[in-house]
Amino acid sequence: MTRKTTIKDFSRPGGQVAEIDSADLMPLPPPYDQIAKPPIRKLTEDQLRRMDASLDGVAAIGIALPATPEEEKIFIEKFLAGLEKLFTAENNWTFLQPLVHTLEYCVKCQICSDACPTYLASGRQDIYRPTMRAEILRRIISTYIKKENPLLRKFKASDIQLNAQTIIRLGELAYRCTLCRRCAQVCLLGCDNALITREIRKIFSQQMGIAPKEIHEKGSVHQIKVGSSTGMTPPALTNILEFIEEEIEEKTGKKIKIPVDKKGAEILLLHNAGEFIAWPENLEAFAILFDAAGIDWTISSDLAGYDAVNYGVWYDDVQFARVALLHAQAAKKLGVRKISLGECGHAHKAMIVIADRILTGDLNIPRESAIPLMEEIVLSGKIKLDPSRNNFPVTLHDPCNMVRLMGIVQPQRRILEKICPQFREMTPHGVENYCCGGGSGFAITQSTNFPDWRSSVSGRMKLKQTLDAFQDVPGPEIKKYVCAPCSNCKGQYREMFNYYDVWKKSGIFYGGLVELIVNAMTDLKEPFIQWEWH
Amino acid sequence: MGTLLIVLTYFAYVFIVAVYAFKVAKWMRMPMHIRWDLYPVIHEEHYRYGGSYYEQQEWWTKPRPKNTGRSLWYSLKDNFYMGEYYKRNRLYWLFLLPWHLGFIFIILFHILCFFAAISMTFGLTIAAASPSLTGKIFYGILLLTGGIAFVGGTFGSVGMPIIKLADRGLRTYAMPMNFFNYLFFLLVYGSGLLSWILIDPTLAEYRTYWVGLVTLTPPELNPAAIFHIIMFDIFLIYLPFTRSTHYITRILAYFFIRWDDEPNLPGSAMEKQINGLLQQKLSWEGAHIPSGKSWAEAATSSGLPETKKDKA
Repeated sequence: MTRKTTIKDFSRPGGQVAEIDSADLMPLPPPYDQIAKPPIRKLTEDQLRRMDASLDGVAAIGIALPATPEEEKIFIEKFLAGLEKLFTAENNWTFLQPLVHTLEYCVKCQICSDACPTYLASGRQDIYRPTMRAEILRRIISTYIKKENPLLRKFKASDIQLNAQTIIRLGELAYRCTLCRRCAQVCLLGCDNALITREIRKIFSQQMGIAPKEIHEKGSVHQIKVGSSTGMTPPALTNILEFIEEEIEEKTGKKIKIPVDKKGAEILLLHNAGEFIAWPENLEAFAILFDAAGIDWTISSDLAGYDAVNYGVWYDDVQFARVALLHAQAAKKLGVRKISLGECGHAHKAMIVIADRILTGDLNIPRESAIPLMEEIVLSGKIKLDPSRNNFPVTLHDPCNMVRLMGIVQPQRRILEKICPQFREMTPHGVENYCCGGGSGFAITQSTNFPDWRSSVSGRMKLKQTLDAFQDVPGPEIKKYVCAPCSNCKGQYREMFNYYDVWKKSGIFYGGLVELIVNAMTDLKEPFIQWEWH
Repeated sequence: MGTLLIVLTYFAYVFIVAVYAFKVAKWMRMPMHIRWDLYPVIHEEHYRYGGSYYEQQEWWTKPRPKNTGRSLWYSLKDNFYMGEYYKRNRLYWLFLLPWHLGFIFIILFHILCFFAAISMTFGLTIAAASPSLTGKIFYGILLLTGGIAFVGGTFGSVGMPIIKLADRGLRTYAMPMNFFNYLFFLLVYGSGLLSWILIDPTLAEYRTYWVGLVTLTPPELNPAAIFHIIMFDIFLIYLPFTRSTHYITRILAYFFIRWDDEPNLPGSAMEKQINGLLQQKLSWEGAHIPSGKSWAEAATSSGLPETKKDKA
């Protein structure tokens, strides 16, 4: 075990900087404290030949070590060239000011470490301190970009020896932070070490063409190419919607036609396409609710117009802008009055907030969250709801992107308080929530042993928090519901609950918000929520 | 010596103000960035729980009340409390807060001394036994601010290196410069403390010194006070080379990054500015990026391999 890690360890050739020992991880409540399996599988010899995992034995990106000294030189030079570009207004006007501020004014006081769920859950592994990435970057800048005097570097402890492994380790480390920005929230100096994580990812992607394949190649590139990161093409969308309409009729007896490409509709509803495939009940519930409330809405079948995801928000400004533009173009083509985001946290943040300073002219179409609209439907009495239909313990997970990063806090609570008699909060909650552990692309990253790390470390705090919220009803005999109004968070819950067998051991189910609303609708004969684990 | 003190002091003040102003201007001159707000945003109506205007339907049609005064108060008051440190690392807070109060109060003390000197040249007596109530109050405030500066600063400068070495997290990121600073600041505050306790209990020497500065008359001072004043002047010259600008930039970061929730409304000046920024040429070399093109061109291209090939 090498818990005490220093920055020098990142320059050490060979070996692993840190090792994650299950005995060190933050304890979970019973019966999860008895799980004997090793938390993280070792990489196979073949994998180790193909990718460097010398950070912590885990590979999220899986970068190969350069084969020759010449290749290593080119690799380092490319990284340094990218690092220099981060500090030019032309290449990085998007984040220059927050980047420079954090690098220049962080005093490394470690207050942010205690706010980081990954660091805490790991048993306080030094490598996961939010300051670690920034400090390595700061030292590379001092030594290789500014080329400060060696004596000054000694005085400022800003020396670092750079080799390919240092860079690869830094790249991997950028994929051990979920970008939840809890660290930034507690910083008294306004510094944001999560942003540094994203800036490092940008160097790798925008300059070196390196990113986890689930996020880039199979993610944003796929979305731009075929229309969705799921691979769903417009014709496939038609088939899925037909299936969803049949499902609605089968479950409720209602014949609802999901509006597609309806010109001049009031609302273009942007769903995360993952819902269509993994959780079609979410789209079904939206269709039932909007139909009952008489909402004038549509779905687009245009390229990327039916998939709200924008993975660029996690790693690449250019990919981000491209996808945001495709979304706006789909809305413009239909002539809708506004775009409404379904239950997807990062899509909320990406399209409503971040794209705000990308979209101009006729592409600057008003954008909002669907949650205030759902609140209005529920509280206005437009539809009849019976809270006793939701008379089971319910807790709420706050997706970071929607809550801490956007300030949408109360509408979802007012809905739950109205329709769920046994609603209880997690601790902490609201803008101080803990990330699900699947943020910033982790929930979709399935390579090598990364899912083990995600369930064992980055999701651990959320698991504990969720179990704690139901500590008065711990057994599986009472069915419980975690409301997670975000596809990414649901994906993480699914993986994590499978990993720990939570459905069987504790009877905790996860799902969205709209499903609970529809479940309470009095004109449905059968409960909408079917408690079928998938 | 008196003349030297006057020259050094004026130089120190001009230097620190000029360098701080340069640093702040450099910070402010950076281009507008993408929104990166973080809640609670204190000027928001529902800041208590971290709510934003996005909690409303059709937020763009609704008023967005901003309480800038509250934001300013929030960002300033924490200098005197440092609540997050109190909550999360109380031992560190115990030394860090007095250390910072030392900074704030020593600057405040000297600013007040400047006003005291001006008042004295107009005939006001500043002393415990002053015939004027204003003179008595002024005296009390000077004693209080000076006292907090010297005691707090000295205590903090002794405690900071101890906690920096004792705490594993802090130790990992400690640098020789930190310890140099603690030692140097100990000299600054400690010399002030000793001079105050042993030689100048009413802090009259500083008023004499500031009257000399204001009237450009070399003052005659006690050697202990002179030593402290020289140390303090060097301190002012040295500060811009440390991260001390964070007293100002943290407030800028709150207002212009963390709480920057200004939406880009159609036809606004911001929209024009964004259009300008989108015309900048990027030179990233990732295979999916058309290096040499503008942001607008890059965003409207797909970046797919065949597209790049076609263009080539």
